Amino acid sequence: MNDMRIVERDVDTSENKIAARKVQVYYGDTHAIKDVDVDIADKTVTAFIGPSGCGKSTFLRCLNRMNDTIDVCRVEGDILIDGEDIYDKRIDPVQLRAKVGMVFQKPNPFPKSIYDNVAYGPKIHGLAKNKADLDDIVERALRRGAIWEEVKDRLDAPGTGLSGGQQQRLCIARAVATEPEVLLMDEPCSALAPIATAQVEELLDELKQNYSVVIVTHSMQQAARVSQKTAFFHLGNLVEYGETGQIFTNPQDPRTESYITGRIG
Amino acid sequence: MQDQHIVSAFDRDLEAIQAQIMKMGGLVENAILEAAISLETRDEERAERVRRADKAIDELEELINEEAARVIALRAPTAVDLRLILTIIKVSANLERIGDYAKNMAKRTSVLAQMSPVNDSAGALRRMAKEVERMLKDALDSYIARDAELAQDVIDRDREVDQMYNALFREFLTFMMEDPRNITACMHLHFIAKNIERMGDHVTSIAEQVVYLVTGSTPDESRQKADQTSVTAPE
Repeated sequence: MNDMRIVERDVDTSENKIAARKVQVYYGDTHAIKDVDVDIADKTVTAFIGPSGCGKSTFLRCLNRMNDTIDVCRVEGDILIDGEDIYDKRIDPVQLRAKVGMVFQKPNPFPKSIYDNVAYGPKIHGLAKNKADLDDIVERALRRGAIWEEVKDRLDAPGTGLSGGQQQRLCIARAVATEPEVLLMDEPCSALAPIATAQVEELLDELKQNYSVVIVTHSMQQAARVSQKTAFFHLGNLVEYGETGQIFTNPQDPRTESYITGRIG
Repeated sequence: MQDQHIVSAFDRDLEAIQAQIMKMGGLVENAILEAAISLETRDEERAERVRRADKAIDELEELINEEAARVIALRAPTAVDLRLILTIIKVSANLERIGDYAKNMAKRTSVLAQMSPVNDSAGALRRMAKEVERMLKDALDSYIARDAELAQDVIDRDREVDQMYNALFREFLTFMMEDPRNITACMHLHFIAKNIERMGDHVTSIAEQVVYLVTGSTPDESRQKADQTSVTAPE
């Protein structure tokens, strides 16, 4: 009977990409993340869900040290990517962010051409040997972003001239252009129309073949649709973390149950 | 966990659909009892009423299925809400089948009323039907109270119904061997016994759904099957 199950939901690998241990985050006196332990698998979409202010975005931003830019923010505990402590002094945050790409809630293309939006990262990281090489990288990234067909004839047009959904896919293409190993997405679809959302979700399914994708979403249905593993955050605690199917059919913690069924809690 | 949804219309939808299940359950309980009484009292008119009443049960099942589909489409239920909707769909199907068996009992009653009675078998069948009706009542109570223990108790009690059926099976076999003129009546009576035994299985299935609803996992199939008639032969 086991082969009759819906196999796509399975996590493809048991290899962990990211390991977080006893992570604490403080904003000044506010204890925003409390003692979070989590292992995030490679080649898997992991969704972080939870009510507003529960710390899911804060925790996501720890994974590529985006919180470094906030003065009052303090991160404790260990976050390892491939066994390497990303908060180690020897780690260059710029290099880290090439390895751990990020896509934000609002599409934020650079005020440059579509081509330059994607080429920027590979250029500063010296990933292209010459112009032809760079062209290849740009095309590959735009194809991965599922937007190549729509923009291939106007690569010189400004990225800001695209529709919202196209801009977001351009940003995803830009994020994958540096060949990251982890892709963090903070509410990537909240500003998008349903069709554009579906396109991004389809894209996520493809991206997970190569990357470890972590997505923060307010849409529980989206978490259920795209992820294989789901983590539920509440008041800075990681309340429950498990296989997405289990979280949405039979959560073990009453707080998870209250949240995903839309009850007051 | 809180009982109420933030969107109160969701609660109203679920309550409405559960009220329909309860209404259906009441009709089915009544059908079982009435069918058994009409058999024992050889009351053809009463049997006819049972047959006619089955239509309302069928209509309720259809209504419940439509409502359940609507809730799935519009509210995207998850976790306990999803299990509730799945349970409702299955329970209504079980109730509908039990109603059909009661209707079939009533049909056979009309035939049996024309024949001379066979011993006290109608009384034994009524006791068996009464037990199944009690199990159904408890199963529905366990559903309302979300009481997995009571549901498990109902599951365990199906064994007694199976044993009652085994006894009746042997009894009918004996009657038929004693006097071939009993065969027609005994065949009908046997089908009625089998119908009641199958009702018990559907009640068990309802109770299993309650366990699933409450705990999130179905009870394991370790329950012993006490129906051994499929391997029984006249000695």
